[in-house]
Amino acid sequence: MKKKLRDMRPVYVVGIGLHRYQRLSETPYVTLGLTAVREALADAALEWRSVESAYTGTALIGMAASRPMLRHLGATGIPMAQVENASASGSTAFRQACIDVASGLTDVSLALGVDKPGPVAMAPGKTRMRDLVGSRVVPFTHFALLTQEYMTRYGVSAQQIAQVAVKNNRNGANNPYAQRQKAVTLEEVMAGPAISGSLTRLQCCPVGEGAAAVIVASDDAIGQLGIDRNRAVRVIASVTRTEQVYRGAKNFDAELTRETVQQAFDEAGIGPGDLDLMELHDAFTIEELLYVEAMGLCAPGKAAGAIAAGEFDIGGRCAVSASGGLLAMGHPIGPTGAGQIAEITRQLRGEAGVRQQPNAKTGLAHMVGVGAVCVAHVLRKGA
Amino acid sequence: MPNRTAVHPELYSPDYADNPSLSGGKCRACGYAFFPPQRYGCESCGAPPEKLEAVQLAGRGTLHSYATVHLHMGKDIEAPFTIGLIVLDDGPAIRSTLTNRTDAGLAIGDRMKSVLVAAGTDQEGNEMVELRFARAEASK
Repeated sequence: MKKKLRDMRPVYVVGIGLHRYQRLSETPYVTLGLTAVREALADAALEWRSVESAYTGTALIGMAASRPMLRHLGATGIPMAQVENASASGSTAFRQACIDVASGLTDVSLALGVDKPGPVAMAPGKTRMRDLVGSRVVPFTHFALLTQEYMTRYGVSAQQIAQVAVKNNRNGANNPYAQRQKAVTLEEVMAGPAISGSLTRLQCCPVGEGAAAVIVASDDAIGQLGIDRNRAVRVIASVTRTEQVYRGAKNFDAELTRETVQQAFDEAGIGPGDLDLMELHDAFTIEELLYVEAMGLCAPGKAAGAIAAGEFDIGGRCAVSASGGLLAMGHPIGPTGAGQIAEITRQLRGEAGVRQQPNAKTGLAHMVGVGAVCVAHVLRKGA
Repeated sequence: MPNRTAVHPELYSPDYADNPSLSGGKCRACGYAFFPPQRYGCESCGAPPEKLEAVQLAGRGTLHSYATVHLHMGKDIEAPFTIGLIVLDDGPAIRSTLTNRTDAGLAIGDRMKSVLVAAGTDQEGNEMVELRFARAEASK
């Protein structure tokens, strides 16, 4: 019989670590990755030799990235593999680590996301199916089209949408791991430079380098390895789906999010009103509005009003992208999804300092990626 | 004597005088119409290539959204230019460069039609044409 993650052995996040997201630098990816893994091991108070499998979410570095990093922690011979799933690579690496522990294949597993910007071969460009626009439409124009459609349909202004960047940069200003750590005003966001449609530079996420590591463990490991059970955060749902055929010009990003997150809610036994915080794929400002509506946090066309009312602020009914999100924390591709898990874990432990969402008990991590793919995880406080 | 050639010969013919069709595909098993054309298998029902047929899609549709691109790294076109998301009367939603560089006067719901515009010459001196969309009439 098929099982959900929740029906298998309980899986807990027990260690988190990051290397700050930043602009491309001379720092080798080895250093980025090791910094994050060592911080996660220290956070869990675990030795590297306790880790029994490792998945590296990476899309840009190239073939065979795991062992050239991880051997420097002591080559223990554990299984390692790279996970490439576009922007959701880190999220998918985390899911694989959870599946190892939940199934009983391992008691302790690592999900690491690491990337540095560089030239990348995109498989969708090699299908020999050219369209009319080719490279004239890059992601920011895809989302500029969705922005114009949304503004027209709901009578929402460009300024109301840009408010997402103000909120998420305010959060990122308090996150030492964020690429953009500076609060910005609405006037600064709107001042440009203009990128595509009404999207300005600060409404588009920075793609830099960085790393994020998450260690997951079983109940057995928590008991046997002396891990602090009070700081363990349980993973209660893990769902990933891919795009189907949606007729006409229906917004596939929102439809895919709707299906994936609904399934994650069902598996977790919760509804949108149960979320205290979420990290969502806000690569562009419009996405936050589209996705909170698709997830059922507010009715279609009402997200801008909810943002203006502070409902998605830290301290609001559901803090959205308390880390700063992709817009401020940044989107180094491989690390991003793992970094979301780190933020939610920190919040559910009550260790997020000035970014702390009060009384946070349940959190959602949501990523989408080219393909299109979508990955959702639900985490809950307490072991 | 030089001929006209299309920038995307697999997507439209360079020989139209006005309002060119688009070369799309249709699944004989489920009726799903798609663009661009492909011979790999039906995305909607999974029917194999032999069930897919080439069809001409009329170059007419309705503007679903638009965006003027202000920043562009590619060399084939200079910013600003404007992209339209158009739902063709024959079904598929497509993205096309619009004839106007900016979105001045455009509105979602406008009726759109395809046109061929000059796009320089190729290495053999042939006149090249590219399919774009233009507003046919304002939304009602």
